[in-house]
Amino acid sequence: MLQFLLHGLTALLLPPLLPGLIAKTKARMAGRKGPPVFQLYYDLAKLARKRAVFSRTTTWVFLAGPVGGVAAGLTASCLVPFGHTPAPVSFEGDVILFAYLFGLARFLTILSALDTGSSFEGMGAAREATFSALAEPALFLGFAALAKANASLSLGTMLAFPGSLATRFTGPLILILAGWVIVYLAENSRIPVDDPNTHLELTMIHEVMVLDHSGRPLALVLYGASLKLLVLGALILTPALPRAAHAWQNWLAFYLALGGLAVGVGLVESAMARFRMTKVPQFLVAGVLATGFAFLLLLV
Amino acid sequence: MLDVALVLASAGCWLAGALASAVPRVPERLATGLGLLGSLLALGAALHLLTGGPASGLDFRVWGFPARLELDALSAAFLLPLHLVGGLGLIYGQRYWPAQLAWGSGRSLRFFYGLLVAAMTLLFLARHGLVFLVAWELMAVSAFFLVGTEHEKPEVRRASWVYLACTHTGTLLLTALVILLAQRSGGLLWTALPASTSPWLEGGILLLAVAGFGFKAGLLPLHFWLPSAHASAPSHVSAILSAVMLKTGIYGILRVSTLLPDVPRGVGGTLLALGALTALYGVGNALAQRDYKRLLAYSSIENLGIIAMGVGLGWTGRATRDPWLMALGFGGAIFHIWNHALFKSLLFYGAGALLHATGTRDMEALGGLARKMPRTALAVFPAVLAVAALPPFNAFLSEWFLYRGLFASLGRGYPWSAALGLVGLALAGGLAAVAFARFFGTLFLGSPRSELAHHAHDPVPSMVLPMAVLAGLCLAVGLGAFLLLPLLDRVIAVLAPGAPALLAAGLRADFHRLAAVELGLLILVALGFRWLRGPVDAIPAAAQADLPTWDCGYAAPVVRAQYTGSSFADAWAPVQPGLRARMPRLRGLFPGAASFRQAFREPFGEVFLEPRLARLVERLLRFRRLQPGHLPVYLLYVLLTLLGILVWMLVRGRLLG
Repeated sequence: MLQFLLHGLTALLLPPLLPGLIAKTKARMAGRKGPPVFQLYYDLAKLARKRAVFSRTTTWVFLAGPVGGVAAGLTASCLVPFGHTPAPVSFEGDVILFAYLFGLARFLTILSALDTGSSFEGMGAAREATFSALAEPALFLGFAALAKANASLSLGTMLAFPGSLATRFTGPLILILAGWVIVYLAENSRIPVDDPNTHLELTMIHEVMVLDHSGRPLALVLYGASLKLLVLGALILTPALPRAAHAWQNWLAFYLALGGLAVGVGLVESAMARFRMTKVPQFLVAGVLATGFAFLLLLV
Repeated sequence: MLDVALVLASAGCWLAGALASAVPRVPERLATGLGLLGSLLALGAALHLLTGGPASGLDFRVWGFPARLELDALSAAFLLPLHLVGGLGLIYGQRYWPAQLAWGSGRSLRFFYGLLVAAMTLLFLARHGLVFLVAWELMAVSAFFLVGTEHEKPEVRRASWVYLACTHTGTLLLTALVILLAQRSGGLLWTALPASTSPWLEGGILLLAVAGFGFKAGLLPLHFWLPSAHASAPSHVSAILSAVMLKTGIYGILRVSTLLPDVPRGVGGTLLALGALTALYGVGNALAQRDYKRLLAYSSIENLGIIAMGVGLGWTGRATRDPWLMALGFGGAIFHIWNHALFKSLLFYGAGALLHATGTRDMEALGGLARKMPRTALAVFPAVLAVAALPPFNAFLSEWFLYRGLFASLGRGYPWSAALGLVGLALAGGLAAVAFARFFGTLFLGSPRSELAHHAHDPVPSMVLPMAVLAGLCLAVGLGAFLLLPLLDRVIAVLAPGAPALLAAGLRADFHRLAAVELGLLILVALGFRWLRGPVDAIPAAAQADLPTWDCGYAAPVVRAQYTGSSFADAWAPVQPGLRARMPRLRGLFPGAASFRQAFREPFGEVFLEPRLARLVERLLRFRRLQPGHLPVYLLYVLLTLLGILVWMLVRGRLLG
């Protein structure tokens, strides 16, 4: 019970820390001091007090994106185990619900971008739709490979993969994780797929879709994005983490790994530039190929 | 006995309603009332049977030969969507296509609509080859007249003729199938066939069934009649065509397979692969459509492919006596049939409301309709989420069934077909989300793209009501699906004799948790909206009454600069075989005026088949000389034929000994 409480509190309160960590890493790498690690908490508190501005073309669909993103993210966080602590809700087939919840969040974000009638946001929506349709097979093929290896369709069992298993599975596991890291970077609109800090709207993917949000809706958008960093991060980290004897050790390992992941993303962002837009599909297809190859290795 | 009588009475009601609406001066209310009564009777009987009533039959004689009508769980599973959508369509059609419309098309529409429902009701009961074929033809012909309702338009005439040619080619194959079945069982009565010695015969019967019924179900190479027929028909007719008539093909395939003692192993995997290809093909082409009704038709092809995947999975399970594969495959197929009937008829009703309000089927001429038609937008929204298989709506659950079945078959030695199915299903789901984000975004969101959209308004309540009912059902099925599991178990028991009732026992706990998670999602959404509406700063509402979209500070947006549906899906254009673009050639520093054209032609029907058929017809013209139109020549033919037969009779004894 205490575990579930901790799970819920982690999902609710921890996410805004991750973008802070990434930004701090990037600043340090660039020799700057950077904003405080808790900057996003301050931003959210500020935005929650502000009133939103709505354009004359928008309808309730404009709000469905931010709300749906947060609701789907929080719901998905109940399904994924944080480290080797079991998830609050777990059943056979929950992995499909997990994947489709992110699909729901994306769908609603695209619709709310189209609701503004702006060509910039339409462009972002089209790119998001295209790139996520390319990233989705990588996620699914990774799930299929893990399901085949574990003969289970429940996230808890599937992700509790390593340690006990023979070396035959380490190769595919590395491929799956490599593919998922690509998905992680793409889904969270990070360099090299997308640059959340770019100033030119023409080159944006995700950020351009939320240009018109302000006030509380914008707070939800930012919070939803950080929630995605946490939940998808838990998906990648869990198979890679060693299993410890005590619950608190598992939690500690998870928090440390999460911090490490955020720092790692920051390092990737400092070390490389973003790809040209035409190169992005190739990068995503590389992820599909990695997970697809892992799947084939497990099939034969 | 009572149930089958009720369903027969329902068919009678629909027929009487159809006849009443054909006669002038009979009030329309009488015809509508008769149809609705018929729907209620059939729905009651089907539900009674599915919740535990016994199967009931009715024996009679046709020209001295025994014939039979029977209502079992499989028939009931198809009667349910037929009479739900049939009844709602009747209400919707009242004002969508008023009876007093010019050319008397309102009256013929009502007549053939009633006849179509009655014929399909009879079709689902028939257990006799001849009765089945008669019902099948009645259905096909009334659908032909329905598609051709606006026969003054050339493209409508063309669509209905292509449909008629396709359906009759299918009937030809079905006649062969009925004869083959009669050969095996020694009569036209459809009873379970004895155990056979050769799997080839069973495979042959099944393949013939898939080919013959595949025309109706729109399986891959036989789908090409479907988009234009659905686009041309009045919208509530498109709804019933898509929601039920396409499924009669699946019904036929399933019914024939229940007669066979065994299903050969390879057939299931083949159908699974064919279904996956059909699904991908359908959704890929849906992305390219500008005509929103045609888009919906292509999405129907996709969903029929998904249903075929479920049937293939179930057959694989039946061939290997694997109860879980049977349950998940057949259960997923039947469940998806129900779900598709709900959300696709809702989408077609919504499309009808748009067409009624704006008069155009071109997406690029519309936009911003969520402000002009808020009720329609709100009602269509659940269907858009459902068709993309997103939770918490109904279609997510049937695809969840299929995912589980495919994963199960992955672990049981059919890795290749299952892997293909998994990738196909995931990719089709992703692309459907793109196609329907485009559908909803282009039609309902943004600002109007032409004058046509400015005067749009919500339809009358009698058109909104059916949409609201279906939208509610989409959500209710998504949340309360655990109540449907025992019903599905009963259908599976017909499809796979001897299979234990697994779904209700095995999936109930999972479905409870799923429903709880979805309920949590809905609660979070409600909380989120509440929080956004909370009062914040004291800015007067008037200060932000009429602001343009910020759009990076460009305060004079032009509607034409808005992203269009075609540009939204432009990234996929290279992989769409039907989409042809003529690019302008720009040269020099100051190029002159240029134009860009893009057109869609159905890749198989129009691009591949049509020129080849035209060439074939040209070659066959040579034989026209045999038909000069003079009576003496035909008499000569008769004489020659008789002579030929005479010679054959004389020679036969010598030749064959």
